[in-house]
Amino acid sequence: EWNMAATETQSMLSIGLIEKDVNGDTLWVWCYPAVGSEFRQVLLSKCCLTQNNEDFHTFVFGQFCRSWYYISTLEVQEPTPLKKVTHLSVVITAKDFNPEKYAALNRILCRMYIKYGSPVKMMEVYIAVLTKGICQSEENGSFLTKDYDVRKAFLAGSIKDVVSQFGMETIILYTAVILKKRIAVHHPRIEALLEFTRVLPALSWHRKDWSILHPYVHLTDTELEHLSKCPGYIAGFVDPEVSNRSDLFDVYVNLPDSIITVSQNAKEAMMMGKLHKDIGHLILQSAEDTERSDSHVIKDISLKTKQILAHLGTLADQCEGSKITLEHLKQQNFPPATENFLFHLAAAEQILLV
Amino acid sequence: MEEVDKILILALKQVGTELSEEVGSVKDFTSELIVEAVVRCIRVIDPGLGSPLPTSLPPGMSARFRVGMSLAQACQDIGYKGEIGYQTFLYSSETEIRSLLMFLVEKLPRENAEASDQPTGKSAILQRAIAAAIKAQLVEPWLPPNCRLPLHGETQSLGVMHSFHKQPLSLPYCIKDPGKKSLKEVKDYQRDFLPPVTAQLAHNATVAASLLEQHTAELSVAQEWYNEWNSQGLLSRLTPQDYRARKLTRLRKRIEEQLRSAALPPTESAFGGLGATSDLSDILQSFRGSAASAHTLTKGSHFTHSQKFTFTQETEAVPSPARRTDDNHHSQQEELASLQQQFQQLCSDVDQLTTELKHLSVTNAQVLDEFKQRERQNNELEEKIQLKKKTVDLLPDAENNIVKLQALVEASAQRVVNLASQWEKHRAPLIDEHRRLKEICSNQDMESSKKLSEIKVLHDKIRVSTEEAKKKEEIHKQLVTELESLPKDVSRAAYTQRILEIVSNIKKQKEEITKILSDTKQLQKEINGLTGKLDRTFAVTDELVFKDAKKDESVRKSYKYLAALHENCNQLIQTIEDTGTILREIRDLEEQIDTENSNKTVANLEKILEDYKAIRQENSALAAKVREG
Repeated sequence: EWNMAATETQSMLSIGLIEKDVNGDTLWVWCYPAVGSEFRQVLLSKCCLTQNNEDFHTFVFGQFCRSWYYISTLEVQEPTPLKKVTHLSVVITAKDFNPEKYAALNRILCRMYIKYGSPVKMMEVYIAVLTKGICQSEENGSFLTKDYDVRKAFLAGSIKDVVSQFGMETIILYTAVILKKRIAVHHPRIEALLEFTRVLPALSWHRKDWSILHPYVHLTDTELEHLSKCPGYIAGFVDPEVSNRSDLFDVYVNLPDSIITVSQNAKEAMMMGKLHKDIGHLILQSAEDTERSDSHVIKDISLKTKQILAHLGTLADQCEGSKITLEHLKQQNFPPATENFLFHLAAAEQILLV
Repeated sequence: MEEVDKILILALKQVGTELSEEVGSVKDFTSELIVEAVVRCIRVIDPGLGSPLPTSLPPGMSARFRVGMSLAQACQDIGYKGEIGYQTFLYSSETEIRSLLMFLVEKLPRENAEASDQPTGKSAILQRAIAAAIKAQLVEPWLPPNCRLPLHGETQSLGVMHSFHKQPLSLPYCIKDPGKKSLKEVKDYQRDFLPPVTAQLAHNATVAASLLEQHTAELSVAQEWYNEWNSQGLLSRLTPQDYRARKLTRLRKRIEEQLRSAALPPTESAFGGLGATSDLSDILQSFRGSAASAHTLTKGSHFTHSQKFTFTQETEAVPSPARRTDDNHHSQQEELASLQQQFQQLCSDVDQLTTELKHLSVTNAQVLDEFKQRERQNNELEEKIQLKKKTVDLLPDAENNIVKLQALVEASAQRVVNLASQWEKHRAPLIDEHRRLKEICSNQDMESSKKLSEIKVLHDKIRVSTEEAKKKEEIHKQLVTELESLPKDVSRAAYTQRILEIVSNIKKQKEEITKILSDTKQLQKEINGLTGKLDRTFAVTDELVFKDAKKDESVRKSYKYLAALHENCNQLIQTIEDTGTILREIRDLEEQIDTENSNKTVANLEKILEDYKAIRQENSALAAKVREG
């Protein structure tokens, strides 16, 4: 049966296989159709098998150069025709953000490879998903891409946890995301990092842009070079050294210690006033309400954002060409913090007159 | 016996006794000699005991008697266990004197062999020489400058002291890079033009310091390289040049990192200009001393105005105070006003520019963002257009085309899977080969590291043994020189030879004695056995014959002869035994005669009689003196 959701089926870019053998070597052994050598290096560095510590991460994902990668790692257990392999990782690269979908697919592929010992079987499954959007899994049932809606992926994180951890300071995160600033998050454990960062883009729900999310970045030249090309991002680092790299961020979140710091050169743009206080209170209230779920909270936040944007829109309409100018803003006699905020927000929403 | 005597005589000579060359053995010692020798020995052994004793016998008999008694007492105090009295000294016998002298000589305190206790080695000798020289110099008394002799000049005047300055030297042979060949020109320069080390320095006094410094530096470099190479260099399995090159790049990288982290990161952000303006505003703010934000730049507070005032006044204070006060005041006021105006103008210009910059940076960011977004959208739209175009082309014959496309896709999928399986056939063996070779490699690695550690152990052993060998050689050299310098009076080798000969002789004698003893035992056993046999035979014969003797006459006669024969033989045996005993007694008596003879008893008796007569005379003389008065 054909699945005519063309955008979905063409989102998968490639599939790769990494093995760790009894010699302790980790090798990139197979891929289809092709993975560039730079990207391959990055993927190898993300795979937990290449890292010297004994941490074992079943599933990690991240973004590099506007491609999402999803890596599942399994330990090889009997029965299997793979005699010299101790662990293996399956990497799927895709254009879309959908960790749950690709985690499920990865698991199927991993199990298939362990059972049959040949990537050909994996490829059959991959082609089936690519062309038809469905494949039979070894366990009961089948895997359907349409079961994994992208909206579910966006809403999968827990905004309530973020608010409960940072309280009123969540407004800093909100401001940074809304104004398209650079946020650097640090946590020594990658799973915590992924879980936390994936929900932050939901703070600007009206954009539904998860391409600003780079949840797993190492402090290497290649990755940082590509990262610096993005104007605003939410980047997650396991390396605590990132706190010294103030050239990389405007807001720094120390997740284990629950400390948010705004870097010096961004303080002026991130100035906050009464408007922010109101928004902050709203977020807190909504999150503390036990009857409202995460998606409700996000909806509340986005409603408030839409309010502000609508207000900005009316102001813009009063100017010529529907673009706000700073003078017009000044005429409204807002308090300075609010004026500053609206000015930068207009720039972010591209309704500022150039 | 001669060797013992020689040793005794030598020892006594060392103590200080005057012995003439004729005195060859203890037998020749006279009483005076004996007394002198003993007293000197006692003086060395125990000065407290020995000092009151005279070294020569006084002439008077009673005095001699007294001296003999005190000597005997002293010897007993020292610990001599044998029988000793005045007679040992006055009427001496050879054996007694020999044993006494041997005891005393053994008691003499041994000289400590200094050399064997101190550490050996050339440097130790040098240090000892230096210590001795310094000690000698310290012992010399300090003299005031006028009284000093030239030879004191070196040690007691201040003029010769130099501080430890060093200067860099240029030496043709450098340890730094033994593999590097120097250029021909450098070699020529070194050969023809480079002055010798002593001429390279300005001050003659710095030669020693510079040379020491140079050598120590080179030595420490070599030592460090040796240590590093043996610990890390061998492990890295690189050639020395590669290892050095790697180390160099590593150090460079580290320096770069340090510099990078130490230097403040430039305040550049993606909005390039914003950083520069914030710098500028910072500077301005520090100028003015106010903490206002950007939006208050246009306002000037009372405070800032007064600040400006003081600032301009300072510049005004510099020009010379020599101007006339009235005109000065006016012109100064005018200048002040104009400068203030200019300054205000500049400030407002700067403020304006700052705000403009900020605005521009923000809009710049916005535009960039928009541009990127639009580009992406363009690309996406292009792709979509392509797709839609193709679909539109295929639309007319939709059903067929869909079927065809499906078939095409399936065929491609099949083909791709086919290709994958073919590739797999090639790939799998390669990966296996790779893994197998890696295993072999790691095994070899383990083996080579084991061998490396063995090499290290061997190195250490070699080093230790070479050091020990060097030390032993030095000790050997030293001991040989010392041996040569020792006095050759006494030939220890000859003594040791004699001792060994005597020991072997004794061993042989012991063997012979044991042999003789065993022979004797054997004979005794035989005798016992034969005696027993004889008795038994006689008893049996006796009985037999006696039984028949009662009846027959001839038998009775033969019985009488038998008894007589037995009796006579017994007597013979007895006589032989007696002869043997008597011979033994004769031997013993002869020995006793010999020993008694050597005691010089007769001579001593005569001497004693004479002395007795002399004492009686003295006694009578003394008694007469006492009676007289």
